[in-house]
Amino acid sequence: MLVIPAIDILGGECVRLKRGDFSDKKVYSTDPVAVAKEFERQGAGMLHIVDLDGAKTGRPANTEIIRAIKKAVRIRVEIGGGIRSSAVAKEYLAFADRIVLGTKALEDISFIEGPIREFGSERIVVALETKGGKVATEGWQKTLEGDFRDAAQTLKRAGVTELLFTDVGRDGIMGEPNYEMVQELIGLGFNVIASGGVSDTSALTKLAALGASGAIIGTALYEKKLTLQEALEATRPASHLTKRIIPCLDVKDGKVVKGVSFENLQNVGDPVSLGKKYSDEGADELVFLDISASREGRETMFDVVEKVAKEVFIPFTVGGGISSIGQIRKLLQLGADKVSLNTAAVQNPELISEAARAFGQQCVVVAIDAKKKGDGYGVFLKGGTEETKLDAIEWAKEAERRGAGEILLTSMDKDGTKAGYDIELLRRVSLAVRIPVIASGGAGSLEDLRAACVEGKADAVLVASLFHYGEHSIKEAKEYLSKAGIPMRI
Amino acid sequence: MKIAIVDYGASNLQSVANALTSLGQKFEVVAEPKTLTGFDKVIVPGVGAAGSAMKKLRESGFAAVLPTLTVPVLGLCLGMQILAEFSEEDDTQGLGIISGKVRRFVTELKVPHMGWNTVGLARDSKLTEGVPDGSFFYFVHSYYLPVDPQYTIGISTYEVDITAIAQYKNFYGTQFHPEKSGEWGMKILDNFCRIC
Repeated sequence: MLVIPAIDILGGECVRLKRGDFSDKKVYSTDPVAVAKEFERQGAGMLHIVDLDGAKTGRPANTEIIRAIKKAVRIRVEIGGGIRSSAVAKEYLAFADRIVLGTKALEDISFIEGPIREFGSERIVVALETKGGKVATEGWQKTLEGDFRDAAQTLKRAGVTELLFTDVGRDGIMGEPNYEMVQELIGLGFNVIASGGVSDTSALTKLAALGASGAIIGTALYEKKLTLQEALEATRPASHLTKRIIPCLDVKDGKVVKGVSFENLQNVGDPVSLGKKYSDEGADELVFLDISASREGRETMFDVVEKVAKEVFIPFTVGGGISSIGQIRKLLQLGADKVSLNTAAVQNPELISEAARAFGQQCVVVAIDAKKKGDGYGVFLKGGTEETKLDAIEWAKEAERRGAGEILLTSMDKDGTKAGYDIELLRRVSLAVRIPVIASGGAGSLEDLRAACVEGKADAVLVASLFHYGEHSIKEAKEYLSKAGIPMRI
Repeated sequence: MKIAIVDYGASNLQSVANALTSLGQKFEVVAEPKTLTGFDKVIVPGVGAAGSAMKKLRESGFAAVLPTLTVPVLGLCLGMQILAEFSEEDDTQGLGIISGKVRRFVTELKVPHMGWNTVGLARDSKLTEGVPDGSFFYFVHSYYLPVDPQYTIGISTYEVDITAIAQYKNFYGTQFHPEKSGEWGMKILDNFCRIC
């Protein structure tokens, strides 16, 4: 999560207002450029600059100072306050990284659609300010009809992905952010920067845990209640361990199937060249799923594994029809790093324990095909056609107890729909076990990958058609997720 | 040059062998400790648990020979951990080539520490020449060797700082799997092959 120091400028000076009241201001510095440079020196990754004169009059009044700030620092800068025409938006975006649109965006939705189309949604932040659950406008003096959820839905339809959320009444008085609303907006799929009431490290860690993409700190910083170093330290990740992107290749009789289509690839159906291609493009791991129906078809998988291991130097997992310790031993000896057990594990759970004892838990992946059943999720076999009595969450916990090193969780409801991963299923399983969970089934956009990692708390995402048909490259996916604040190996 | 991959029956050697082949290096898989002395480089792979690995190293006789080697030795993953004095895993006595005690992760984070993590370079070593500071490597482990300025070359963080790359005299080690860590993992293996 980004910790973003605010620089509010009024009459060329760096000030703070109490609850947005222009008559209740306190001047902290007459040199906003120096303040910006100091924040950069202390380690900020982005600055949030507000032209308060602009916000008040509707016309930018501190453009030259803001331009000077952008020139003086190398970190990202977002600008808000008084951006009420596309001309001003354009002028700012010519040098700033992002702009924040306020009041006008909510009253005239067509105003935000243009800039989003022209500059991309990641550069257009919309400020959503609420008061008693309603949307506040005009310097927080008025509220709009309908509650904030309606406004959020309208913004979502307009293509907005970035929200700057403030619950009015908490800004400038060092209270606490409205966590419930932040969580709700994240749940709707927005990248949410929380603003207002972020005054101590506990608020920052709570926001980070909720999955907020950033938090703006202002008054607490200027009043020296909190230093930027403390804020950065509190939100510093405990680890740089990345989320993993794992392309999945279905292999039948030694050939990759499911219409993988690449240009400039000699042998499209060859698992070795495809695996190598994905590895070169930055895949973190690979999964080869054997879908051969015949015994002869399965035998060819051993050759595939042996060849892949000679050319691909990232970890790879083999799954599909594995049912004995002998098969597992052979696959690992040929160079596979992990095996994925599905039907055989359900029919004979002891296989998980035996494999973990013999080869270590790190190489035992238990694949679970889950389908919504009442309030919960049931475990299904054979591509979702055969129902079992098992509950998916309980089964995941048992697999962990028996020594599984990872859970590969496929939603049979979402698989093949491209409608997004089943976030609820993912979240429930991820919170129930302490081993990594790989999300599978339903990826239709890069945003779906983000949601699986953040809201679904998945440790890795399995991706098939999104990459196979060239809709997106792994590089694009990693850049997208990285920008959303998710640690990625790039 | 002759490289030995130590086969003490505990781990899967194929991935290391494949990586060396791809680097154009010749190697032999050695199961007989006495013959180790004829090699210029020795690689000790390791997957599995410390207790059974040390048991096999003792039974096979490698445990007596390895500490006496003067050629470059590279321990991978568990192969690095057993260079230390002791491991909390199965309360195991290690080879004691380097000081220190291997500990279990006690953390709210998921264990094993599995996946790609960055390695910060704490000091120079021939093993890491040309490898950028902060490069990613692939880790899978539940126990770790704490940081010790005596031998820690590279540091990774998983709530606590851990020794990701070690060097003490002619003994080298990586906690991650260089043979599974893409470009920079291969660079480290290549560097090891070139140490003289």
